[in-house]
Amino acid sequence: MQTVNSDGLYVAFLFFGRWEMKHLTPQNEEIISAGIDIGTSTTKIVISKFTLMNMAGGAHMPRIEIINKDIIYRSPIFPTPLVTSTIVDIEAVDELVRLEYIKAGIRPEDIKTGAVIITGETATKKNAEEMIHHLSDYAGEFIVATAGADLEGIIAAKGSGAYEFSKISRSRVIANIDIGGGTANVAVYKAGKLCGTCTLHIGGRLIRFSDDKIGKISEPIKNLLHEWKSDLKEGRTFSLTEIESITDYMAQVIGRMLKRELTATDKNLLLGHEPNWNECINAIMFSGGIGECIYQYEKNSSDPQSFNDIGMILAKSLTTASSLSDWEWIRPQETVRATVLGAGAHTTEISGATIEVEKEDLPIKNLPVYEICFENDFLKGIKKIPFAIKEAIDMYDSYNEGQNFSIYFSKIPHIGFKEVHQLVDCLLNSMKQVKHSDVPLVIVLESDLAKVVGQTIKMIQPKQKIICIDQIQVEHGDYLDIGQVLQTNVVPVVIKTLTFHQ
Amino acid sequence: MNPELVETITKLIVEKLQTVYHLSDEADDTAKLLPESVKLWNTKSHDENGKNHGFTFEHASERKEDSDQLVKFSDYTSAPNVTEQKEKAESKKSPVQCEEQMVQDGIEQPFNQEELESLISKTPARIGVGRAGLRPKTSTWLKFRYDHAAAVDAVYGNVNEELLKSLDLFKVNTLVTEKEVYIRRPDMGRKLSDEAKNMISSKCVKSPTVQIVVSDGLSSKAIDANLEDVFLSLQQSLKSIGLDVGTPFFIEKGRVAVMDDIGELLRPKIVVLLIGERPGLVSAESLSAYLCYEPRIGTIEADRMVISNIHKGGIPPVEAGAYLGTIIQKVLKYEASGVSLVQKEG
Repeated sequence: MQTVNSDGLYVAFLFFGRWEMKHLTPQNEEIISAGIDIGTSTTKIVISKFTLMNMAGGAHMPRIEIINKDIIYRSPIFPTPLVTSTIVDIEAVDELVRLEYIKAGIRPEDIKTGAVIITGETATKKNAEEMIHHLSDYAGEFIVATAGADLEGIIAAKGSGAYEFSKISRSRVIANIDIGGGTANVAVYKAGKLCGTCTLHIGGRLIRFSDDKIGKISEPIKNLLHEWKSDLKEGRTFSLTEIESITDYMAQVIGRMLKRELTATDKNLLLGHEPNWNECINAIMFSGGIGECIYQYEKNSSDPQSFNDIGMILAKSLTTASSLSDWEWIRPQETVRATVLGAGAHTTEISGATIEVEKEDLPIKNLPVYEICFENDFLKGIKKIPFAIKEAIDMYDSYNEGQNFSIYFSKIPHIGFKEVHQLVDCLLNSMKQVKHSDVPLVIVLESDLAKVVGQTIKMIQPKQKIICIDQIQVEHGDYLDIGQVLQTNVVPVVIKTLTFHQ
Repeated sequence: MNPELVETITKLIVEKLQTVYHLSDEADDTAKLLPESVKLWNTKSHDENGKNHGFTFEHASERKEDSDQLVKFSDYTSAPNVTEQKEKAESKKSPVQCEEQMVQDGIEQPFNQEELESLISKTPARIGVGRAGLRPKTSTWLKFRYDHAAAVDAVYGNVNEELLKSLDLFKVNTLVTEKEVYIRRPDMGRKLSDEAKNMISSKCVKSPTVQIVVSDGLSSKAIDANLEDVFLSLQQSLKSIGLDVGTPFFIEKGRVAVMDDIGELLRPKIVVLLIGERPGLVSAESLSAYLCYEPRIGTIEADRMVISNIHKGGIPPVEAGAYLGTIIQKVLKYEASGVSLVQKEG
């Protein structure tokens, strides 16, 4: 027999007109999600409404899914308020968010999930930390600040429509190239599966003009110019040809990156790891500010020329580059708003409906994930636990400060009641290594077992605070945010993938 | 249909089958001679099979030639020897066949392997199993027969006594004693025998909040496979909620509505009946948990509710047990089950 997901589909059974179970908890619910994207050059906000519904048949245990996502408010595209070229004016952002919420007609407490994403050159640790601290008062308690080049690319690909395209097209491999002010974030998808990511220092604001002179050149470009022995420098007048030679080169680098053939010189523009997909790309999609320069979706926004940078020139180089004409170009659904839509509408997942959580322990933010994989062998998995917990403590709480982490049990085979007890006993014994017993024990299970595991822990250690959720797929090294329990008895979970497996 | 015609057709088919058999036998030999071209041979042999199913005279004569050769072969050996030889040939061939079987399961050379796998993973139905001509492949067919047999066994089998003993469940009967009667007379499966009534009255705690009852229903395998986990997990769940649980027992050959008799006898607030589901070809060991608030003679079906599909490929039994506790709490809170519960909940 095929193995079936615990949340999967089953052959319908007839119940001879007998009444099937319904409505023990609300079957529908709407939640509001916010996405805020603070980029190198622009900042934007979207508010979306998710509709949750029980998709399980009447006689099954409930299975809550997000069935619809409506964008209910899109902010204008604001220039990012900056103190210096890389430090965000946090207070100005606070004010901006506050006013936009008023315009959208929502209160911070209405928001149940979502993400703030700080991208491009403003994605520094300092900005991110301050943002978490500040924004929670204005943006809603559960919301998260997050940054990281790989994640940016992934979120943009979801917002631009590239991810959806790959799901529908199935066989074609699509690369979403989101180019903003400072970086080009690439995510490659095939049939809804992430194949790989790559980030380049290619963006519209890497060279800025003031009047007819070069205003500012960012570091990676300076290095490149140095290697080229070019005399183009800040404060000098310039010709369009000079600039075009740089943007044409950028377009070529993108072409070579897509083919995974970056040269040593090209690597001046590489941020982080090299392209890490193995598939041959069939189609490309451009989103981000440069995507907007190409397609001009935003009728009412300010003239792209007014940015006084190389954005338009870069867009022209991309559209004319022979190195990029080999691929099929797919029009994006969103250009400059791809990332913010991705952050607001595509980062939230919903847990299983039979879970064991305490309202007062939620929400929880930025919880690192430590995975214990059972590899479908129960005894093997059990043996791993004590060592794994010790390693997790060393990794995430080496100074015994009470920094919590979550344990993710994956690939547990079909287990019975006795095995559940064995698992819980072993887990609780191992958790004795944790000095701070006041922090909740956070367990994430891949298979539908959270209720029984949670109940068993409560039976054995009634005082143990516990958050036990299931039917979430995360990976070792991911970070989790777990939101407040919804009316449908599920919790929204935002998974922040910072590492990436091949 | 005309019996003579039937006979003629049957003969024709048998003949054809034999021809195909011998043909592939021969082809096998060719394959052994040319091991590097196994794939090529496969497609070729398919073409040949295809031809054999065609009804042109040309092909029929070809076949005749082939079969003539083989008739010669069988001419100088007596009948029993033929079978012996055939057996030998088969036993010689079988390892090769097995290997091919492994390769040939499912669709050969699918257009999009990944997509096919993703579709197959979405359903337990028999999709993407490939075909041999117009029919399913032998392995698919055997699997189907096996699952069907398992379903029949589940209906006619008996629950493992050791299991009942280990869970401390005593056994009572309904008005039915034979499986054939059980199947023909659902009404009799809904009534407890007098003996059963006496035993329940003498052994069970009266008026508990929750009464757990187990019955094999239409699948004894469902009980064997899942009862322990659902039962223990449910007991733990009820204990953690702090509900008082009556004396559980097992009813042999029971139907869902047998809970009405139990309601009359023991007067619990809620009856939970763990009963084997009608087996299907996906699973023969699926268990259901039926719940009813104060079931009595005359309780209407709309007041019963069910959590079904409890088995290792569906709702994990341990999780189902834990979840049942939550539902029981709800039923007790609203003092209603089924449609009445929905109405009270608003």
